[in-house]
Amino acid sequence: MKKLILIIVIFWGSYSLLSAQEDIKQQVKELTNTVDSLENITKPGKSKFLLRGYAHAGLEITDNESTFEGGSFNPIFLYKQSDRLLFESELEFELEDRQLSIGLEYANFSYLLTKSVTLRLGKMLLPFGIFVDRMHPAWINKFSSKPLGVGHGGILPTSDIGVELSGGAYLGNSKINYSAYVINGPRLNEGDDEPEEAGQLHFDNFPDNNNNKMIGGRLGFLPLSNSSLELGFSGMYGKVGSRGTEYSDIGAFLYAIDLSYVQSLSFMSSVLSVKAQYSGVNVDQASYIDTEDTLNTGATYTFNNTSTTYFVEGALRPALLNNNFFRNLEFAVRYSELDTPEGSMWDSKLNQWELGLNYWLDWRTVFKFTYRITQGEAGHDEGGESPIGNAFLFHWAIGF
Amino acid sequence: MKKLILVNGLAALLVLLAITFFSNCATSNVAMNKSGAQLWGENCVRCHNTPSPETFSDVEWDVAVMHMRVRANLTDEEAKKITDFLKTAN
Repeated sequence: MKKLILIIVIFWGSYSLLSAQEDIKQQVKELTNTVDSLENITKPGKSKFLLRGYAHAGLEITDNESTFEGGSFNPIFLYKQSDRLLFESELEFELEDRQLSIGLEYANFSYLLTKSVTLRLGKMLLPFGIFVDRMHPAWINKFSSKPLGVGHGGILPTSDIGVELSGGAYLGNSKINYSAYVINGPRLNEGDDEPEEAGQLHFDNFPDNNNNKMIGGRLGFLPLSNSSLELGFSGMYGKVGSRGTEYSDIGAFLYAIDLSYVQSLSFMSSVLSVKAQYSGVNVDQASYIDTEDTLNTGATYTFNNTSTTYFVEGALRPALLNNNFFRNLEFAVRYSELDTPEGSMWDSKLNQWELGLNYWLDWRTVFKFTYRITQGEAGHDEGGESPIGNAFLFHWAIGF
Repeated sequence: MKKLILVNGLAALLVLLAITFFSNCATSNVAMNKSGAQLWGENCVRCHNTPSPETFSDVEWDVAVMHMRVRANLTDEEAKKITDFLKTAN
């Protein structure tokens, strides 16, 4: 009887063990299948999409008014189709003049031809100087506004449509980078639509107003092995007058020299940033209809169509301090000048000081307090508002 | 005069393109021995604050670094080292 009970117990125990093993095997199999399916869900494909961008808004107090500014919202779409092909695009949603304006800042694709040569086609930010190409996003620009002459409505190009070859390489311990492009180029305001801006270059030239294409480029040289210093030389040349008009042979030569120096200063527990850019715009001399001379219909006037603008800015952030509050502070100062042609209806000689105090919430979110002093003479005011005077600007900006 | 400037400018750019093509031969040991972390620290801060590696996932860094390679004219080796570092440190 005891033997029978023992056999039954052993049999039952063995059966239970075998059943448990089968259960465990089944569970392991199910878990393996689950992990495999999760891997398939999260496994990156060759096509990779990333949404980035930035936004800013703020309060602006001038001599005559105070207003909250809607700023802008700029989503940036990045799409990596392969290890060689990248598409980038930035839209700008901006509140201005009681309306929402939508702009296409750039939309282009880049193809890595070789390790040192990238082909870019489409609408692109022009590597002309350093501000537009590298410093214009609100979370990168250390001030609540742009330097004189730069940006939309300025005398310098921002973006254009065309083809570019670019790249970078080491030369010993130094580095160089280059960009060479062919674009539509700006169009000359010949005085038909906005006679007060006759002789100005406009950079929204699509479709092109002539068959000539503008050729340009930038060469950057980084002589120090830690890449802290960069010197840049930019230039572009092309005809800007409309085909079939008396201005068809009018050409323009634009140039810029820029400097960037960013260095950690351990003795001050700070990071120092110095940026500067000097730019010139030379347009061939031409005669324009004088709309202010009402007595002599068809009378013309001319002027030496040369403009220059420059800025120098410095920023110091004690980022290496241990104190969390002080390490997020940043002190900044910028001086800029704009000199447009004497004798034109848009003649101006302006200079501007900007003093900034910034507080960084993290590496891409900042509160910017800027006090701006603009002096000089402005012949043609943008939008009827004089740029001359003092202003306090408080902006908050976020990059994402 | 302007044509002369243009021709000279284009010639200079062509020379630079040639230099760039053959420049890999001229890369120094200092440049070759830089780590991804060092390149990340040196290059990002030239334009903006240095981003935390934790900002993006591995896949997102692939796209973000390629974007910066094109915009900041990073070399192929720099981009690869920086990507590897960010993926390791995020």
